[in-house]
Amino acid sequence: MGRTRNRRHRAWGCGAIVVCALLAIWGATAIRPLNAAQPGEELAITETPVGRMGGSLVIALRSEPKTLNPALAVDDPSREVLGCLNADLIDINRQTLKTAPALAKSWEVSKDGKQYTLHLRRGLRFSDGQPFNADDVVFTFQVLLDEKIHSPQRDLLVIVDKPIAVEKIDDYTVRFSLAQPYAAADRIFDGIAILPRHLLEATYRDGKFPQAWSLSAPPSQFAGLGPFRLKEYVPGQRVVLERNPYYWKQDKSGNRLPYLNELQFLFVSNEDAEVIRFEAGDTDLLSRVGAENFTMLQKQQAAKGYHVADLGAGLEYNFLFFNLNDLSSKGKPEIAAKQAWFRDVRFRQAVSEAIDRADIVRLVYAGRATPLWGQVTPGNKLWIDSALPHPQCSLDHAKELLRSAGFSWKGDGTLVDPHGKAVEFSILTSSSNAQRTKMATIVQDDLSHLGMNVHIVPLEFRAMVARLLNSFDYEAVVMGIASGDADPTSEMNVWVSDGETHLWNLAGKPSTPWEAQMDKLMQQQEVTINYAKRKQLYDRVQEIVSQNLPVICLVSPNILVGAKDRVGNFRPAILDPYVLWNVEELYVR
Amino acid sequence: MKYLGRRLIHAALLLIGVSFFSFALLQWAPGDFFDELQLNPRISARTVEALRVEYGLNQSLPVRYEHWLRSVAHGDLGFSLAYNSAVGPIIAVRARNTLVLTGAATLMAWLLGIPLGIWTATSGRGWANRILGVTTSTLLTIPDLLLFLCLLLLAVRTGWFPAGGMFSPSAEAAAFWPRAKDVFAHLFLPAFGLAVVSLPVLIRHVRSAMVDVLASPFLRAARGHGIPRMRVLFRYALPVAANPLISLFGFSVATMLSASLIAEVILSWPGLGPLLIEATLARDVYVVVATVLLSAVFLVFGNLLADLLLVAVDPRIRME
Repeated sequence: MGRTRNRRHRAWGCGAIVVCALLAIWGATAIRPLNAAQPGEELAITETPVGRMGGSLVIALRSEPKTLNPALAVDDPSREVLGCLNADLIDINRQTLKTAPALAKSWEVSKDGKQYTLHLRRGLRFSDGQPFNADDVVFTFQVLLDEKIHSPQRDLLVIVDKPIAVEKIDDYTVRFSLAQPYAAADRIFDGIAILPRHLLEATYRDGKFPQAWSLSAPPSQFAGLGPFRLKEYVPGQRVVLERNPYYWKQDKSGNRLPYLNELQFLFVSNEDAEVIRFEAGDTDLLSRVGAENFTMLQKQQAAKGYHVADLGAGLEYNFLFFNLNDLSSKGKPEIAAKQAWFRDVRFRQAVSEAIDRADIVRLVYAGRATPLWGQVTPGNKLWIDSALPHPQCSLDHAKELLRSAGFSWKGDGTLVDPHGKAVEFSILTSSSNAQRTKMATIVQDDLSHLGMNVHIVPLEFRAMVARLLNSFDYEAVVMGIASGDADPTSEMNVWVSDGETHLWNLAGKPSTPWEAQMDKLMQQQEVTINYAKRKQLYDRVQEIVSQNLPVICLVSPNILVGAKDRVGNFRPAILDPYVLWNVEELYVR
Repeated sequence: MKYLGRRLIHAALLLIGVSFFSFALLQWAPGDFFDELQLNPRISARTVEALRVEYGLNQSLPVRYEHWLRSVAHGDLGFSLAYNSAVGPIIAVRARNTLVLTGAATLMAWLLGIPLGIWTATSGRGWANRILGVTTSTLLTIPDLLLFLCLLLLAVRTGWFPAGGMFSPSAEAAAFWPRAKDVFAHLFLPAFGLAVVSLPVLIRHVRSAMVDVLASPFLRAARGHGIPRMRVLFRYALPVAANPLISLFGFSVATMLSASLIAEVILSWPGLGPLLIEATLARDVYVVVATVLLSAVFLVFGNLLADLLLVAVDPRIRME
């Protein structure tokens, strides 16, 4: 009897142990995410070489991020950090510059080009472990489109004055409806972080969304779909991110990314400080440096265990343009008198031909830049018109052009207009950008060979912008535009005459036949879905710009980056974020 | 007490004046915080204008100043347009870091300045005294900017000191002592630089005050009575020479603060300096005004402290 009871006790005991073990295993799998994909999870698989799990990397930021609220961030440092904390529906692959699936595993476009149906990956979770579905997508776009929020991303989602409509089809399908076909519709999703509805909906309903996710909020209040999640923010010093254990990408061997356990952003005050910290070994990655620092780093790279790379021209283009605004109501007779020169295309062509772009490349960028004759840089391989002529610097031809426009030269070589007035004007530049001031100085020197008397006026950046956009109190400007995307639609505002950054003439309507033609071409390319047809249209825009020179394109600085040799899968790109676009794939060797 | 009350009222009026003028100057400067957004081809002018209205940049100067005064009363010190949050918490941590740096530098400067000043006053015209005189004169002529750049070069070329910041990235998880050691290593160079900036003036003031006092009959009598030299210098001479030095202490706070802004930017110390420069360039008005106001508070209270110390140590001033 006693032996039977013992046996029974032993059987109960074994059973309890087995049940406990099973419960423990179930508990572990339910609470803690495994490295491998869970049943029902539709993870993306990357094609890069398999890396090593663990370790941490440090990168410098040239100023502190200002907010961690993706709907409100406008500054580069915030966007760089947010890029590691969040994910978008469709991504622009930084190496091909084409769109690629992200949180949306696929998408379809309706025949009329007005509806985009996105199919979301199933089984994904935010960094706090809560599930992701179509409700989060609908909530995100509701917030971004809300006029009271004043999200800077709202303008991307308003096409022909009508906001994109978002509709949930089922838990994993979302439909976006546009007022008219929009060629780059799939690209606008890049960089739009999907917000966790479960964390932010109440805040949004209470009207407190603009205050949410400021830097002072505790890390537990944040969640995203990016490879990392917030661990710590130390004001004035650093932001520390830790691995998101629920991230939705894995490598070819089935390891859930990211490889790194931790990523630190160290705040420094300027580029030189960034380079010094990199050299001193405090940081592992160098996001973008100037040519002088690059040359210095290049000399020491073999000895110091890092390597630097010149990726060629980025998307930034620097240019010179003249004030072609209507100044009749602005009371600036002196500038208005000079506009007779500026409006003559032969004058602008002569200026363009007198500028030695090779000198700018050599003297300003130590050879680390690319000369430009159009607004599209060689880095933008999808859209550059390679048939565009590259007229060489020719003083003789420039003088011929000026002579044909009625200009002549006095005995001392001074250029005078048909009324005998000496050609003299000033060029504004931003005093905080040393390269542009140097560039303006070279332009000044080149134009002096034509007998033009040019003055350089370096101004504090905001003071320059105020003159440019409000008072029109300038004659010429040297500045640059760094486009956020390779697609021409991102520059609609620059090239159509009612655009708010149609810098040379903010009249809001075309002043010349070629501007009217540019408007038409830009509007056509915006609604043309076929790439080849769009390319033809945009090639024509580039030709018009190079012939009529509303802006005289000068150079595009190369993208110069660096990394310690211990950083694996380092594949920098010419589109921002240059070195962190594949942060989930980076690893420590 | 009456004296203290009068000084506090003066200080409050001064601070109101400083804040209003910095507010007005920033308002009159061309451009505003949102101008940079206007050049972004992907953001419309309508959105930029809506942001201006939302943050009250379209309101008149007196209205904005009144709003700011109210927020000061609440302890917020205004609203940062860049950080989208109250200014108070943003500058609090940085102000602490600036105080750590200037405190350490002041301590270092006075610990070096007083003995060196006394030594130059008592050591006659020897070669060592001459070398020190040349060194302090040279230091006086070197611009602060150049000095800090040299220190940065020293750190980078030798590797003896960290090249910037307040912590090493690896020190975050360290225990208290290794972490304190790490902070000290980062603090040494900027604090030393700041101390060197104020040292020449300090040494000369101590010297001149001591030379005057050392000629006094009571000190000759003390020496005649056989009191040891060090006791005469530190126990009897220094307290008598203290008055001008205490006044100098108040001024040195101002010197230290302005020099610390440069040191912080060059040596990446996370204090008020980098924040102020960034906010000024970005026209983040309330951050600039609050930072300037805080610097003025440090300065005013540095001087007030010096005056109170004078009252405490000198019975003649107490009587007046």
